[in-house]
Amino acid sequence: MACINPVPKLYRSVIEDVIEGARHLFAEEGVEEQVLKDLKQLWETKVLQSKATEDFFRNSIHSPLFTLQLPHSLHQTLQSPTASLVIPAGRTLPKFTTAELGTSNSRENLAFSGYPIHVPAGVTLQTASGHLYKVNVPIMVTQTSGRASILQHPVQQVIQQLGQPSVPQLNPCCLQATTEKAQRMETVLQQPTILHSGTEDRKHLEKATCDTLVPPGNEHKIASEALLSQPESSQYIGLPGVVFPPQVSQTDSNVEPVVSVSASMIQNLHGGPLFKGPQGTRDQHVSDVQLHLLKNRKFECDSVKQPRNIEEPSSLPVSEKGSNSQMDLSIQVTDDDINEIIQIDGTGDTSSNDETGSTRDVDENEFLGIIDAGDLKVLEEEADSISNEDSTTNSSDNEDSQIDIVEEDPLNSGDDVSEQDMSDLFDTDNVIVCQYDKIHRSKNKWKFYLKDGIMCFGGRDYVFAKAIGDAEW
Amino acid sequence: MAYQLYRNTTLGNSLQESLDELIQSQQITPQLALQVLLQFDKAINSALAQRVRNRVNFRGSLNTYRFCDNVWTFVLNDVEFREVTELIKVDKVKIVACDGKSKYSSNYCESKATSNLVFCWCLFV
Repeated sequence: MACINPVPKLYRSVIEDVIEGARHLFAEEGVEEQVLKDLKQLWETKVLQSKATEDFFRNSIHSPLFTLQLPHSLHQTLQSPTASLVIPAGRTLPKFTTAELGTSNSRENLAFSGYPIHVPAGVTLQTASGHLYKVNVPIMVTQTSGRASILQHPVQQVIQQLGQPSVPQLNPCCLQATTEKAQRMETVLQQPTILHSGTEDRKHLEKATCDTLVPPGNEHKIASEALLSQPESSQYIGLPGVVFPPQVSQTDSNVEPVVSVSASMIQNLHGGPLFKGPQGTRDQHVSDVQLHLLKNRKFECDSVKQPRNIEEPSSLPVSEKGSNSQMDLSIQVTDDDINEIIQIDGTGDTSSNDETGSTRDVDENEFLGIIDAGDLKVLEEEADSISNEDSTTNSSDNEDSQIDIVEEDPLNSGDDVSEQDMSDLFDTDNVIVCQYDKIHRSKNKWKFYLKDGIMCFGGRDYVFAKAIGDAEW
Repeated sequence: MAYQLYRNTTLGNSLQESLDELIQSQQITPQLALQVLLQFDKAINSALAQRVRNRVNFRGSLNTYRFCDNVWTFVLNDVEFREVTELIKVDKVKIVACDGKSKYSSNYCESKATSNLVFCWCLFV
């Protein structure tokens, strides 16, 4: 089935249109044409660096980057109407730089939709790292996510390593394919071994042997230098050696080390600022620790409270004022407990209990105001019977605060949850920007009629002319 | 005037970054960069309207919805996007949608949609 990803072609056309449209703007400003070319180059490079266009080259293969360097004359032959033809003809394809490796934070990945690449004989393939492979016989490279990979044996014989360096750069690619979160970890660039979901697919590593294709006559001189300088600074560095042997076709024996290396790499990668996952877990851990500490404090307070409770009855006959003070203490202790509980919910910091209004939100203060007025009057009446000293106001305040706290917890607990969600709710990697034709709701059933949208899921871009959706709130 | 909605996409952000670099190196003026971005708005709106033909269906659960300044912002969970060729599942997605019928509030679409300010918060209680 010929499924051509329209995104790269669309992006290219937009870039061309914008550059053309900006040409007269630049001319009016008196800016040189070279600056316009620089802009175009910068723009294309950044788009390539992102995962958004899995195959900016219109290679439809689920694999990390392929850069194909072909003689121009070969382009004609390569073009065929079959789906297996991957290489776009007649275009100068910018190279992928491995600069991405260093900067990518596992976000940058070029993935191709899974279509087989048929590489005719006589093709020289150059990896981004500078390795040159000459294909002596036609090979078919297929890459699928989760599907069996078929790596042609001829590859081994076919591929002769002509070039050199930066083998280490191959490694990251391989490694990342095997990570659990391979999809995110793919900074691959040019290693065909890597697959999006290739955790279990060691065979995909074999595929990796597919070569990175470098377009001929490419103006962007990437990356071999970038690559060479890259790896040391990249997070993938730790790779001790070349896991990726030039003789790709070797199978499990080579795959094993790759996988093992990847495991270590995964750890390294996790250590880095890759994505929110590990960080999220760290945060969770911290919050758990905090929770534990708070609970401990609470238990301490409880133990403290018990003797106070015992004391209270004894203090009753003394004076109501005294008992109030005792109660005040217990109330304060209770406040501590309650406040600590509230802190667990994340409402505020651990400020003084007496200052009931200061550590609370505005809404709570409003409630406090309402309750305070009423309770204050009641308590004042009671207090007057006892005494009309400052202590009564203090006790009433404390009782107010206790009552307020008790009444407000259940009222605000629901708000707390949603408030927390707000900050994190809109912070997501998966975004769709589009226009709506119609948004319909019936009870809690929503229907969306959208159009002209660009979707970005985990860095990869998709587009649609129309989108229809259903959701239940 | 076309929607500036699409500036916060891979393509738009990479263009803005590139323009920023040129401004930093003083090769272009900020005014010129703005003109280029306007050009981009036109190009992307027109490209999406004319060169894209595919359809997508999706289904999920709606977490939140917001409608402010004629911009809808949704957050959906556990969504499946179906195209003829493939199926994509995501656990959380944010949808920002400007009015497809009116093109006059282009500035709002961009600023309000991306600012996450809560002006009109609708929730069933």
